[in-house]
Amino acid sequence: MTSAPGAPAARTSASDRVARLLAVVPWIAAHDGPTVDEICERFAVSRRKLLEDLEILMLVGVPPYTPDTLIDVTIEGDRVWLRFADVFARPLHLTPEQGLALVAAGAASQGLPGGDREGPLATALAKLAAVLGVEPGEAVSVTLGETRPGVLEALRSAVSEHRRVRLDYYAYGRDERSSRDVDPHAVVAHGGAWYLHGHCHQARDRRLFRVDRVVDVEVLDATFDPPPESEGDTPLVLGPDVPRVTLELAPAARWVAETYPVDDVSDTEHGWLRVRVAVTATPWLERLLVRLGDDARVVEADQPAHEDAGPVAARRILSRYGAG
Amino acid sequence: MSAAKLERLLNLTALLLETPRPLSAAEIRARLGVYPDETDAFRRAFERDKDDLRAMGVPLEIETVPGVVPAVEGYRIPKDRYYLRDPGLTPDELAALRLAASLVQLDGLSAREGLLKLGGLVGDTGDAGDAGVGLAVGSLPGGNVAPLFGAIAAQVAVRFTYRSEVRTVDPYRLDFARGRWYVSGYDHARRAERVFRLDRFESTTEALPDARFERPAVAVPGVQLDPWKIGDGEPVEARVLVDAAQAPWIVQHLGPGAVAEERPDGSVVVTMAVTNRDNFRSFVLTFLDHAEVLEPGDLRDEIVAWLEKQAA
Repeated sequence: MTSAPGAPAARTSASDRVARLLAVVPWIAAHDGPTVDEICERFAVSRRKLLEDLEILMLVGVPPYTPDTLIDVTIEGDRVWLRFADVFARPLHLTPEQGLALVAAGAASQGLPGGDREGPLATALAKLAAVLGVEPGEAVSVTLGETRPGVLEALRSAVSEHRRVRLDYYAYGRDERSSRDVDPHAVVAHGGAWYLHGHCHQARDRRLFRVDRVVDVEVLDATFDPPPESEGDTPLVLGPDVPRVTLELAPAARWVAETYPVDDVSDTEHGWLRVRVAVTATPWLERLLVRLGDDARVVEADQPAHEDAGPVAARRILSRYGAG
Repeated sequence: MSAAKLERLLNLTALLLETPRPLSAAEIRARLGVYPDETDAFRRAFERDKDDLRAMGVPLEIETVPGVVPAVEGYRIPKDRYYLRDPGLTPDELAALRLAASLVQLDGLSAREGLLKLGGLVGDTGDAGDAGVGLAVGSLPGGNVAPLFGAIAAQVAVRFTYRSEVRTVDPYRLDFARGRWYVSGYDHARRAERVFRLDRFESTTEALPDARFERPAVAVPGVQLDPWKIGDGEPVEARVLVDAAQAPWIVQHLGPGAVAEERPDGSVVVTMAVTNRDNFRSFVLTFLDHAEVLEPGDLRDEIVAWLEKQAA
């Protein structure tokens, strides 16, 4: 049951208001006179809206709509009692969307460092699974990304305390390990990996770091002024000055076009694909070419060194094997 | 929405929950006494109300009204399908769910409505906002995740188009890993368990309510994403030497259990169970000249032969 995409906003809010009442009524009825404030906070509704809704409730019931079959609303000294609300004694069941949102959030949260695997979240998820009819811990699993123990926690606390960090960082694209001092702005999970947005003092600019490439992190005493809200984690884009290569990819190598940002995609003969990719660092291209072998051909490169990056890398690896 | 409409939707829900038998549209109109008199206007209003209830997930069922000739369609809401079974959550548990939902948000899916039904927003969300960890767990491609979850819960088969072919699958579990959603289940045509990437679905997911299935007795394993383990053959144990700079990453990726040897220079020897030799080669080559397959000899020879062909 999904609400139709693009349904008018008025329709959505109609359902929202009814849906909220169908959740609020059983809760009030099951409690002995909760206060208006308590209800408002618990159900995230304004006092004015709640009182409006309660007024309408007095006109709701079942046939023959005599006083004892209409919901009886009593508001006294800021406390609320509901009687004759048996028809709404339980909330409406959870839709698949609502069940999924809770189970997935719970599963993902359990996977975070320090995640609750035995405490209240775990027992809540087990109870919820029983009600939804799924196997606890089995129906949905969410892995946000790998990190080394302690790294994510240290980065998150540094972000919230505005403390500078020193990263022992392995730059995969450049294939080099270096030490960076970074003002950490935000930690986000995206596309199955964790990223740190921050200002890198070596680069003197904003940089994006993969948290799984952080070998070690030291939280320094130095603090920094956090950037304005909106700038902390805006995506970084590849500039026009990054050199490009044009590749031809065999059908088996089409995944490259799905995995990396490419432009100028065109079909060539026998199901091959021609694409242009940005090469942020030479080792990245070397890696791609030695893995793909005959399934990729460099057609054109902005930098001459990129033209034979594949054979050059293959020879270097061969020398490690004592061959070639 | 007008107060009159809110009142009408609530009374319609109550009426159809309480009725012992399906009620025809005419009976509903007569009992509620709030719909427009004019027939077309009534039909339009009634249709909209039904749509609104269904959009909320109210199980509105259509059945033939008994004892009426000619047959007339009637409506009712079965209580057992409407009422949420009480999971009996403690305040601590409700608060833990709320905290989890504030930490991890799925694009396009809100946990709030579910929380309200379970007893409201309890506890606080801690410093989740301050620490900048409102996590977007990827978008939900084609909106297929929730219908699949519904089918897993209801234990009914689903039908969808995948790689230009209509598949019928008993869905067992959903996995979000490496940035993508996967569903594992039993593929009817192939008579075997298969894993499907949701971003490769070429249709929406259609649940087949009459095609119920039993879940397997043993736990369904999560999706296998280590590419060198894809395949059914007898695994070969490979030993791979990885340089110091890359060692932390491979250990984290494979887990500490994979480390067979730590050398004084910081490099490590890891073991990997290989069932897919092409994917193994591809993985090892991502380390360029910072990794070396030590054993077995034939795997090492294959990589050397591959590289010699590239070097030429």
